[in-house]
Amino acid sequence: MSGPPLVIAEGLCKDFPSRRGQKVRAVDGVTFSALGGEVFGLLGVNGAGKTTTLRLLSTMLRPSAGEARVCGHSLLREAGEVRRCIGFLSAATGVYGRLTAREMVAYFGRLHGMDDRQISQRTEELFGRLQLEAFADVRCDSLSTGNRQKVSIVRAILHDPPLLILDEATAGLDVLASRAIVELVKDCRSRGKCVLFSTHRMDEVEALCDRVAIIHRGRLLSCSTLSEMRARAGGGRIEEAFVAMLGEAS
Amino acid sequence: MSPRAIATVFGKELRDVLRDRRALMFLLVLPILAIPALMWLTTEITVHFAQKLSQEKLVMLVLNPEAAPDLWQELRRRGEATHGAKRLAEYLARHRIGREELERLRDASPRDMAQLLSERGVRWEELEKEIAISSGGGDIELTGGAIANLAFPPNLDVIADTEREFADPAKREERLAEAVRTERIAAAMDFSKDAQGQIDGEGSAKVRLYYLESSDRSELAKNGMVRLLRQLGAEIVERRLQARGLPDTFNRPLVVRPERLPGAGLLVKLMSQLLPYLIILFAFLGAVYPAIDLGAGEKERGTLETLLVAPVERLDLVLGKFLVVTLAAMISALLTALSLAVSLRLGMFAMLSQAGADSFSFSLGEAALSLLLVVPTCCIFAAGLLMLSLFSRSFKEAQSAISPLQTLLILPAFVSFLPGVKLDWGICAVPVVNVTLALKEVFTGNMDRHLGHIGLILASTAVYAALMLWAAAWWSRRERVLFRG
Repeated sequence: MSGPPLVIAEGLCKDFPSRRGQKVRAVDGVTFSALGGEVFGLLGVNGAGKTTTLRLLSTMLRPSAGEARVCGHSLLREAGEVRRCIGFLSAATGVYGRLTAREMVAYFGRLHGMDDRQISQRTEELFGRLQLEAFADVRCDSLSTGNRQKVSIVRAILHDPPLLILDEATAGLDVLASRAIVELVKDCRSRGKCVLFSTHRMDEVEALCDRVAIIHRGRLLSCSTLSEMRARAGGGRIEEAFVAMLGEAS
Repeated sequence: MSPRAIATVFGKELRDVLRDRRALMFLLVLPILAIPALMWLTTEITVHFAQKLSQEKLVMLVLNPEAAPDLWQELRRRGEATHGAKRLAEYLARHRIGREELERLRDASPRDMAQLLSERGVRWEELEKEIAISSGGGDIELTGGAIANLAFPPNLDVIADTEREFADPAKREERLAEAVRTERIAAAMDFSKDAQGQIDGEGSAKVRLYYLESSDRSELAKNGMVRLLRQLGAEIVERRLQARGLPDTFNRPLVVRPERLPGAGLLVKLMSQLLPYLIILFAFLGAVYPAIDLGAGEKERGTLETLLVAPVERLDLVLGKFLVVTLAAMISALLTALSLAVSLRLGMFAMLSQAGADSFSFSLGEAALSLLLVVPTCCIFAAGLLMLSLFSRSFKEAQSAISPLQTLLILPAFVSFLPGVKLDWGICAVPVVNVTLALKEVFTGNMDRHLGHIGLILASTAVYAALMLWAAAWWSRRERVLFRG
């Protein structure tokens, strides 16, 4: 069951200057759309352009060319509005070690314009759901890696964003912490939210994604449902389809 | 710009900094404890070793005592530090009066001498009693010079070169230098041929002193002997005048007596040089750690991405961080000034408290103006440091980038120690130098003479601070800065 398109990317490009003074195109004309109630997977090898694409869509980077509408707002002209409606989480996302879990979450809640009552209610709800109550007043530098990532999850969804961007968010996590993220993704989908999901783990793709885009050398190779991908691999696993597509592109 | 967002960022960053032990170390512990402790230790150690050296008996070798036997015997006798002298020196030390101070007041007016003695709690009758004991009952004038000669005679062992070890003129200097270097002797002297005859015949005898400039012992022995010889010379002149029935004013047609005017004295001068330098230096040092943590620290922790996707203008983010770093710089500068002032009031710095009979203090207005002068400079430091920190990929890289800046900053701040550098309209536009010199004028009590300059300094530094802040905000929007590498 899918809702309205929450991400419409049209010809997104991103150039970075190289050390020799030339331009390197990291993302080259990426076009796709992702809908509400849909988990949209981004697959690609390291350096393919997944992270840059997600950074463009989250307004961290400005596109060199192209445009996107996120939750109906222009990436180029309404960056502030775009940021209000996204939650962002990556494997590299850190926490403020000297703040407690509750303080860290409250800080981002305030930055999102929430008042103290809203922050408190939402924090209790999410800490309860992720079993973080016992750690709410513990400084983040004393938390385990898994619990830190759970705090980051709460931070990312505290303001209840319609679009969640997860960039390899389960990389390096143990089973329990990964499962918390997987549950989060499922919950978001069931509540009509859109999840942009980049990962290297094919089991997660098979378990979660409705549609998958494959990015290779900055370009979008394909954008299809899981069953379409499987069909291309002759009914095999997603991983085989992915490897076959990369082989064709190379 | 959103004041709510700026306040949120400011509140979080301040809390973060106040929980950081390393930042607190730079911000609070260093100015409050380390500076006074370091200065106190330095002065105490210097005084301790200087006293130890002055108690050591230094060998002064006389190469040809036969040329002036009476003079040699007199020098031998006077070189010995007597028990009476030691007792007088200890009495003066108990009242924090040192030799240098007495020497400085050698020709000063009785009023200055009396003021010093009463400030140090010396009772006249007690001092007269001590002087009588150390001089063996002789009449001594209560001048700084006379008391210094009595209490601090050079502690010299004046011996003759009986084995004629240094008799060969061709190798004399080389051998003497070696003997001083190996501490067999501290210095040496010889008299001109028939020096005794020249003295007795109302002529002029020449005394040559051999010493090694790099040796403290040698320098001390040389200075002690020069003092003794001057003292003896004055007595010989007095005897000659008496023999001819001339008054002792005959050879002193002009008697110079410097009179110190009320107002800023040596201590004020020293503090007005030292304080601006330390205030500027510690304002910078106090800002360094928070700036690194709030910029490069965000990258190293991986929290920068989450901040950049929060619905906050980059300007608001930078302003919130900038205000915390500026506050840290100001707290550090303020604590440095306060801890030095309190330490001085408590008499912690022996050398500084003995530097003069004046006291160092400033009014509330001067303190407020000093603080106002420092604010824009703290803003410049905060913005500059944040820019460097944001550009750096890690804590380590930020530290490497900032360290040379620290060395560069010491030079303009050092201007307060340079003699003759005055605050003028041109200097008012030179950052750091202008504030350092303005603070110096404020602490010397010359604020009223420089109100125009101070106004211009406040205006120019405020403009620089605004430009730096604008640059920091522009810098923080650049992808090449935020996502380097």
